[in-house]
Formats: sequence, structure tokens, C-alpha cells
Amino acid sequence: MTAPKVKVLQESDDEISLQLEGVDRSYANAVRRFCISEVPSMAIDDIVILENSSVLYDEILAHRLGMVPLRTDLERYVLPERCDCGNPLGCQKCRVLLVLDATAKERPRTVVSGDLVSEDREVCPVNPNIPIVKLAVGQSVKLEAYARLGRGKEHAKWQPATASILTEGKGEGVFVLKVETSGTMPAKEIVARSIEKLEEKLKELQKEVEEKAAQ
Amino acid sequence: MATTTRQLDSWAVLRDILQREGVARQHLNSYNEFIAKGLQSIIDEIGETEIETVSTPYKVKFGRVELGRPRIVEIDGSVSNIFPMEARLRNLSYSSPIYLDMTIEEEGMSREATRQHIGDLPVMVKSDLCQLSKMSKEQLVMSGEDPNDAGGYFIINGSERVIVGLEDLSPNKILVDLEKVGAVATYKARVYSSVVGYRSKMEVTLKQDGSINVKVPSCPIDIPFVIIMRALGFKSDKEIANAVSPKPEIQDLLEVSFDKANEAPTEKDALVYIGNRVAHGMLEEYRIKRALSMLDWGFLPHLGKADDRRYDKAMFLGEAVCKLLELRLGWIEADDKDHYGNKVIKFAGQMLADLFRTSFRNLVRDMKYQLERAGQKRGGNVVGAAIRTGIITDKLNNAIATGNWGRGKVGVTQLLDRTNYLSTLSHLRRIQSPLSRSQPNFEARDLHATHFGRVCPSETPEGVNCGLVKNLALSATISVSVPPAEVEERLWELGAKSIRDIPEKLALEGCKIFMDGRFIGYVDDGERLAKAFRKLRREGQIHPSASVMFYEATNKKGYSRLYISLSAGRVIRPLIVVEGGKPLLTQEMVSKIAANELTWRDIVERGIIEMLDANEEENCLVAMSPEEAGAKHTHLELYPGAMFGIAASIIPYPEHNQSPRNTYESAMAKQSLGFSTPTFPLSTFVRQHLLVNPQSPMVRTKSTELLNIDERPFGTNAVVAVLSFEGYNIEDAIVMNKSSIERGFARSFFYRLYEAESKQYLGGMRDTFEVPSAESNIRGYRGEKFYRLLEADGVIMHEATVSGGDAVIGRTSPPRFMEEYKEFEIKGPYRRDTSVAVRPTETGVVDSVFMTENVEGGKMYKVRVRDMRTPEIGDKFASRHGQKGVVGLVVPQEDMPYTADGVVPDVIINPHAFPSRMTVGQFIESISGKAASLRGRTADGTAFAGETPDEMGRILQEKGFEPTGREVLYDGKTGRKFAVDVFIGVVYYQKLHHMVADKIHARARGQVQMLTKQPTEGRARGGGLRFGEMERDCLIAYGASMVLKDRLLDEADKTEINVCEKCGLIAYYDAKQRKYACKIDGDQAKISTVVVAYAFKLLLQEMMSLNIAPRLRLKDAV
Repeated sequence: MTAPKVKVLQESDDEISLQLEGVDRSYANAVRRFCISEVPSMAIDDIVILENSSVLYDEILAHRLGMVPLRTDLERYVLPERCDCGNPLGCQKCRVLLVLDATAKERPRTVVSGDLVSEDREVCPVNPNIPIVKLAVGQSVKLEAYARLGRGKEHAKWQPATASILTEGKGEGVFVLKVETSGTMPAKEIVARSIEKLEEKLKELQKEVEEKAAQ
Repeated sequence: MATTTRQLDSWAVLRDILQREGVARQHLNSYNEFIAKGLQSIIDEIGETEIETVSTPYKVKFGRVELGRPRIVEIDGSVSNIFPMEARLRNLSYSSPIYLDMTIEEEGMSREATRQHIGDLPVMVKSDLCQLSKMSKEQLVMSGEDPNDAGGYFIINGSERVIVGLEDLSPNKILVDLEKVGAVATYKARVYSSVVGYRSKMEVTLKQDGSINVKVPSCPIDIPFVIIMRALGFKSDKEIANAVSPKPEIQDLLEVSFDKANEAPTEKDALVYIGNRVAHGMLEEYRIKRALSMLDWGFLPHLGKADDRRYDKAMFLGEAVCKLLELRLGWIEADDKDHYGNKVIKFAGQMLADLFRTSFRNLVRDMKYQLERAGQKRGGNVVGAAIRTGIITDKLNNAIATGNWGRGKVGVTQLLDRTNYLSTLSHLRRIQSPLSRSQPNFEARDLHATHFGRVCPSETPEGVNCGLVKNLALSATISVSVPPAEVEERLWELGAKSIRDIPEKLALEGCKIFMDGRFIGYVDDGERLAKAFRKLRREGQIHPSASVMFYEATNKKGYSRLYISLSAGRVIRPLIVVEGGKPLLTQEMVSKIAANELTWRDIVERGIIEMLDANEEENCLVAMSPEEAGAKHTHLELYPGAMFGIAASIIPYPEHNQSPRNTYESAMAKQSLGFSTPTFPLSTFVRQHLLVNPQSPMVRTKSTELLNIDERPFGTNAVVAVLSFEGYNIEDAIVMNKSSIERGFARSFFYRLYEAESKQYLGGMRDTFEVPSAESNIRGYRGEKFYRLLEADGVIMHEATVSGGDAVIGRTSPPRFMEEYKEFEIKGPYRRDTSVAVRPTETGVVDSVFMTENVEGGKMYKVRVRDMRTPEIGDKFASRHGQKGVVGLVVPQEDMPYTADGVVPDVIINPHAFPSRMTVGQFIESISGKAASLRGRTADGTAFAGETPDEMGRILQEKGFEPTGREVLYDGKTGRKFAVDVFIGVVYYQKLHHMVADKIHARARGQVQMLTKQPTEGRARGGGLRFGEMERDCLIAYGASMVLKDRLLDEADKTEINVCEKCGLIAYYDAKQRKYACKIDGDQAKISTVVVAYAFKLLLQEMMSLNIAPRLRLKDAV
């Protein structure tokens, strides 16, 4: 097999298109799948509702907040299950607190993702204009939301890629991998992390195999 | 399609009709007419009652009736006006007081005129009596009502009940029929003579021997036709024969009848003859009186009850005989009972009239009794004291609450379907046929040509009610009653001649005229009269609900007949008038209607569109499209797509589907979850669903807008691929994307209401709301953990998470039977725990808690528990084409197939769902939905007028897709292309209310029935799964006898009984001797224990109770 060759066909903040050559289809597809399900990203996972007089139930509010994509820095945060803090509530390294405190005083208002105030300025909603809930005059929503890293296989809110497509390129054994990001992190980072996670998994597998073989 | 633009336009007219009138207009009109006229006419009919006291008899005369505002009387006697919402919340009845003016008349002098409250009338929501009908949209919102609610239903004890339309044969119409039993042919003419709230069936029979007899309900025996005529005052035979017809062919057939009537040659003889049969064995004078009252009251009551109506009655009977003989002579065909022109639909007003009539009579009878008993002692307000308002109130409330209308009529009312908005609307346009569902009635179930535009061809249930339960088409309207006097005046002006004075020539050759079942006269040229009548109607001089039908004799010798119908309850539909091949409706008028500058009523008054009933349509030739309209056409369809009813009208491209599929979808649309009412935060329906993220469909129909589906949707748009997926979508299963579910696809809430009220018992004790405590002596105490969520007031807190068995309302009740207080009993009197707990199989969160007071003044709590349901394996879904299926697998997104653009389907359905079912409409919807999504604007899929698949395919092509809707798909697991292109598009999916969470059930051990000791049945009782006889057959065939015994004995109702070996009968345990004993064999008994099924023991004992001695012969098992 020839050495793998990569050519960037197109690149923007949200999207990257790569032409892969000399890579097996199964490997390329694994990278595609990992972009969806294994690359961690930030999403609100736990909320403490202090007040909710809006028309939406707590559980719907929670669901809507969970779906808001948050900017993710994988260097500074770790998955809670990998964190050494051992604290069920999490620590600085594995969770971010966002606060939402909104009241419709004089006129009805729409609470949007931008109303979420994060303790870490870097971890904030990708788009500040996502509507969360409409409030009638006198209604208010007050809550603490805890975001953490998670993986797409656990819940769709942690999927960093909105699209991850592997198609056949021109010529034998040539594939095109196109990844579109939800904005949590640059598209190219998703691909890089995906390969990283795949390698990590393979290493774990290797270790396991060696251990079992040694017995 | 050239017609497309035209049809789109005339839609504005139909929309104007439905939006202005509302979907429930037929109920409201009927009810409003009842309160405006019907009520008074029923009272006037009775008019007065005589109080026969010993000294001075007097009369109570009834005057004007008036209705108050909807109100309730609280327990403390205070009166408060209420709105429907309060009635629903507090389990009240939404009703108005009926006041009646009563005057005492003594010795010809009127005195003591009083206004009395005689009872309460249930108020139809949004009728003229209802406050809501006078409110603007904003006011409705402020009073907590849904501004889009159609009304047309009642609220009794807090529950919404609809009186569904009842299909009935047209009253007062002579219908002739031929009945053949073997070789014997009997000709019959039937008339259902009806006046407000009362009907009497007359039947005229022509037997094989040529005799003609009349059957009247109040007379047990048939009376010869000629005798009735004589009793009605027709003296000579010639007069009688001419009343039938002067035609010799017809008169020849009367000979036998005259022969049979020889025994009563005079009027008096005829009356005695009838009197002998209605009042046998009485004085002659009395018999004649009874015969006359039978003729005036019981015979053809629609022609009036006064004695001067006898001539009309005789003429009417003569006509019935004439029509019968024309049938006999083969001049006319038998009437078609299934013709929609021979049907009327009875709505709430007519139904309530029936009830009110009987209950008012009862009230008057009771009042008379009370007053007679009171005798001459007349204090102030004697009459008021003698009225028991409950007689009317209870009768009406009970009937509506239960649907029992008396005389075996059950199921007249139904609980309003609030599953989704569409199901509510459809329910309000439902029509029931009174025909028995156990009999085949094939013809009655069939779709009839006259149903077109009146009754939906698709929307009918499957099974026993198929074709008997119908739904009004979008274009159908129900006629209102037209005052006959002015119409009759017109007829005389137009040259009609009264039956009272007809020239012989006219009676021989003329055309008979009927007005609303009354035979009123003749005219020389019926066709000319019909035309003139129509012209007047088009000029707005005759009410648009009035209809005229000219029947031209097909046989030269037969009579032509002209029928004018003015009655309420006929199904009429709008058609565009065509003159000289040109429709009168112009583009300009349509635009004005669309712009709200003109209403449909305006163009009806101008004779541009007409409301026709099925009879009048028989005189018309209706063109489907303007191009088709020629010189012969009289009318043009207003909008062909309006032939469908509410439910079928939401199907996109229904004309491309196999017809039963549209029927299936019509049924399923009513089960889909959606946004049923914006009042749901305050709604107190026992079960209720809410779809969290409902969407309006990408592929819409005209009725999506008309029925406000955009504001009350009932489904979600889904990307659907047609593909087999690892066998998990075999047999109509569907594969669903896990990520779609996590993003909120088809998420719904289920609400259940728990209710408890504090009742007062005899002796002054009441139920109390409290947390039952372990210390106080409470029977049925369930244990502390079940009450843990209750707060100090005995009711659960908001947002508490509850699961099966948790008490939501804590309540204790006094003992059922008050025992004598025993002094030595330490514990003292006990109370019972009557707390309300969450259903054993359900969980959820307490959504809302309502506290209020019921009409008896008792405190009442309603607790609503909600449960979020995300789609899971086993939940039922359906597209709008009768394609239903359950979720078979939930697949992670990365494993799902994807397109080259990265689109991952939400749903994958199996290709096998299509060939045999031929739901091509779904393919087109899929293509249209995809194209609509790409162009960013919804598509129109209205029947006969939607955007065509070609048009939509072109859009797809422009956007770089295949016009066929097919695409290259990649397997998510391997990244490999599928060998073939896959059909993928956007289809509207409905989540149906059958969810596994409500059905999942398994059992290892559990309850048994008390009587048989066999496991209970059904999920609610934790029952077992029946090992039935077919399963038994399997084990027998397989020879697995041990398994068989295990299932049917060991794990069912195994028992040991003691049997006396000597006599073979069951022994009993003698507690004194502490041993088993046999009464028959005494000391000689040898008693053995036998293992049998408990059901067998029961059988033995049951036989013993029938004096059979079943003896068991015992042998040792080898």
C-alpha cells in the first residue's frame, strides 16, 4: 500500500473537505464515524432550576439548553470520567457553569442562547441568537447550567460535526471526507481529534491484546 | 393542468363559507332554532293544564318561554353566571334556566300571572345562549378559551359531550317500495309524519289480492284504505276514487278496496269500525270520539291536529295510494332509500326537542298532581311550589351525560374527541346512521352517487360501523328551516292551484305539488314552475335553503311531481350557476371574496352560487371544470377537492392513492398526537397528549390553512428513506435515527388526571383531605412511603416525581357502615383510606394541582401528572397515507446511511410497504416535500389541484437532485455506496397514541380471580397471558404433556379437594371433630385428597346446585 496522501480540497471555518489516498475505506470510514460519535465536545448536561415560570416545562427547557452548541477547548477540559478530581459535581477541569437569569419585565421577551452567562468566557454558545424560550410579562427563568464534555455516542448534543461524509473520490482507493462543524470547534480540529481518538482506541486495543496474549 | 389556476381561485369561496360559518355550524343552527322556536312550540302544543279540584276546577295556562344566562346555583343558594372553562374545571353543567310565564285561569278569569323557573337547559358552547358567541378573539383568549374552538358541544358535569348528527329518513315524504318475499310481492308506501319532537309512521300496503290497508301506530290492526277515507269525511266512492286519481287505470285497481270496505258504507260506520279497533268494548259514543282523536292526533300529525285538516289528510292518503298504484302499474320506480335526498340529519336541536317534549309533559303531569293534591288551599305562589325543576334538568342532563335517549336509543352523545385538533373538528362533523350495525345492510353502507360533495367518500370506520358512521364533506352545509307561508304565497302567484279546488283536467294531467311533505296542489307545467321558483331564489326573493325538485313522469300515463323542501337537516352544497355554458362566478368576485370585500352570502343572494340538496341536484347537470361546461350544464363544481371530509382533506395527493388507504389515514389522523388545544395548561381531560415539537407539514393541502393546522399541527416532517435496513423494518416496522430522537423528534407528553372530591355522608360526616397517619386508626393504610410526597393539606406538591402507587391526593373517609360505638373497643371509630394513587404502571411528574369546589359544595382536587415520552422501540407512527408501523430499531446516527450531502434520514421504511398498497401519494409527497424543503417554501398537495410531481421534480432538478427523488446513499457502517440509488425525501409523520409504555406487560406470579382462582386478565389487573386453546393444541400435538399440565393446572388453579371414596362426593372439614367427614357415609367414609383444577371443583358444586350428584370414582395412581 502506498503511503497515505491527503489533499485539502476546500476549507473554511465551518467545513473541511479532504481527499484521502492510500487509506483503506474502513479506516477512512472509522474517521468519519469518530467525527460524529467519539470526538468530545461541550454541551450543557445538568441544570439546576431555581425558577421557571415560563410556559415550557423544566424538562423541555433542559432539552433545549442541551442542544445549544458551546465552544469547546479540548486542551483545557477533560471528560468527567477521565478527570482525576473524583468529585461527582466536577471541577474546573471537567465542567463549566453557565447561569441564565432572565425576566420579562415590561414586555414579552425571547430568551436566547446569548443570555447564558458562562464562568469561562471561552466556553460560550456558538451562536448567541438561538431562541430558548419566550417569556410573557412577569415570567422569569433562573437557572444554573453545568456544561461538560461528552461524546456523540452518548447523546446527539455532544456531536461536534453536523455532517460527516465519506464519498468516493476520483480514482481507485481515493476518498473524500467532508466534515461540517456545529461550531464547537474548527472542522479541521474535529478531523484531527477524530484520528487521535481512533489511534488512542487502537492503542488501547493493542495494550489489551498484548496483556491477554502474555497471560 | 389548465384547471389548476381556476380551482385554486374558487377555493376562496369555499374557505369563506367554512371560516365564516365555522365547522360546527350545523350543530349551532339546529340548537339555535330549538331555543328560538322549538321550545316555545312544544310548550304551546300543550298550552295549558286543567287542575281538577273538587270545589272549583281551574286551569294553568302557559305563556312565553324565556332562557336566562348560563349559570349555576351554588350550595349556599347564590347564583353565579359561568363560562365554559369554569364548568370544565369544576365539573359543573353548563346550562341556562328556563323561565315560563304561567297564568291561573279560574272561571274564565285570568289571575296570578307568574314567571316560573321550570328547569335548566344544557347550553351548547358557542350557541346564541352561550356568552362565547358574542366575544371577539381577544376576549375569548382573556376568558381562557381557545379562540379557534368550534363549539357545538355541551358540558355536562365537566365533560364535553357532542350529540352526533343522526341520519334519518326524510319526514313527511311518501316513499314507495316493493318487498318480495318469495313469489309474493307486497307494495308499500311509507310516511314518517313528524312534528317537533313527535313522529308517527304511516304505512300503506297493497297486498297480492289487491286490497289496500293502512297502518297507523295508535291502531293495533290495519284499516282498509277506503274506510279511513270515509272516516275522514269523504262520502261518495267517486270522491274517494278521485282523491286517489281520476285516471281509469288507477281507479281500476281500487275495486278490491271498495269491496273490502262494504261493511262500513257511511262516515259513522267507518268511525265505529276504527273505534272498534282503537277502543274495543267501549260505549259507541266514546269509540267514535277515540276514532276521531286517532285521526286528528295520531294520523299524519304533520298535516295538523285540528278537525279541519281531515280533508288534507284524506288527499294526502289518496296521493300515497296513487303513488303506490303507479308503482304497481310500473309507471314509476321504487324510491331509493339510500338516496341522500331522502335523508335528513338530526342535530342537537331536534334531539333535544324529543327529550324536552317528554320531560315537559312529565313536569306538567307532576304539577297537575301536586296542585290537585293541594286542593283549593292556595297560598302565594302555589304554582311555583308545585314545580319540581329536577324533572326537566335531570332528564336533559342525564340523557346528554349518558347518551341514553330513552326508547332504546343509546350512544346518542359521545365524549368530544380531543386527541388532536383535527379529531375534534372531525368529531363535530360526524353523522351516525340509526341502522343496526349487527345486520349487514349492504346498500346502506355503500357510497351513493348523491353523497358526492355531501359526505366524505373516504372517512368512515372499518369494521361493524363501516359506512354507517359518516362524516360531512368540506363543502356540505346543513339546510335551515324556511318559513313556509311566504314560499306558499309565491307558488299561488306562480299559478299553482290548491287541492281544495282542482279542475278535473289538472287532476288528470297536471303536476302535483308538494311542499315539505304537504300535498298542496297542482300546476299545469311543473317544469316551468320549478324554473320560475329557481329564478326567484336566485334573485334573493326566496331563502337559499329552499329547494325545488321536479320529477318528470318517465311514463306518459304517470304523474309529474314537484317537490319543494323547506325543512332543516337536508345536506346542501354550494354549486356555481352556469348559464349558457358560462359560469356566473367571475375571477373578480373571487378576488373580492379573498380580499374580504364580499362574502359568500352576497354571491348566494345574487344567484351566482346556489346551495343545492340532493333532490334538486337530480334536475341539474354539473360540470367538473369550466372547460367542460357546455350548453346543457346548469352548474359547475365549486371546488372538487371539497368532496372530502375534514380528516381526508389533510391527505396530500389522495387522488393518487388506492382508496382504502385514504380511509385508513382518515382513521389514523384522529389518533395522532399534536397540539389539541391551547387551553391545555388548564385542561382537565382524563387522558391527554401533547406533541412537544409539532410542525406544520411541508406538503400542505388547502385545508391545512382552512382548519388552522398551522396553529394546531399533529405531526413532524421527517426525512424518510425507502430502504431495507438489516431486517429491522420488516413487516411495516420503521427504523429511526437515535440522534433525531435525542434532538426532540416526536417527543410527547402524556397527561393523566387524578381527581378526588370530599363527599358528605348521611350523619354529617365528610371525607377529609389529609395525610393518612399510621397512628390514627385508618383502615387500608398503605404504608408511609406511599404518602411521602403529600404536603400538609393532603395533596402532592408541584413537580414532584411520582411512580406507580404513590398517593397524589390523601383522603380519609368515614366508615362505610356506622357500627354501634363499643365502649370496650380501645381503638374507637375508624376511618378508611380513600387516597388517590398513581396508576401502578405509570410514572411522571406532577404537572398541576387544581383546588376547587364542586356544585355540592365539597372541596375538590384535580391533580395532573405528566410523563415525557421519547420515541422508543414499539411506538406507533404513520405517514398521511395509511402507512403505519412501529419502531423496530433505533440506530445511532453514525450507523445510518447518509447521502453525498451528509443528510441522514430520520426514518427508514421498507420498500415492501408500497407495491401491494399502491400509496403513490406518499411517493409524490416525498418528492414534493424534498423539493419544498430545498426551495424553502411549502408545497401544495391538495386533491386534484396540487402542484404536480412533474413540477416538483423540475425544482429538484434545478437544485441538483434527481427529479425522481432518488439519491446515492452510503452505508454508515462501511462507508460503501449502496448498489442502487435510494428513494429519499421529506414526509410528514404522525406519532399515534398507541405507545409501548402504555402496553408493555409481563407477569410471573400475581393476582388470581376470586371466583375461579385462575390468574386475572388484563394489564390493569396485573393479569397473566392466556395460554389459549390453540396453544394447548400445540402442546398436545407435540406430546409435551408435562408442560401442558404445568400451564393448565400447576400454574393456574391447582387445588386439593377431599373426596369420599365411597360416595364419590366432596367431603368437608368438621371443625369439632377436627377431621374430614362425609355426611352420607358417616363413619364408613374413606376420605382421600385429590388434586384438581379449582374450576373443576366449581363445576361439581354448580352441578350439585342443580340437583345432580357428580360422583368421583377414585383409583390409586399407578
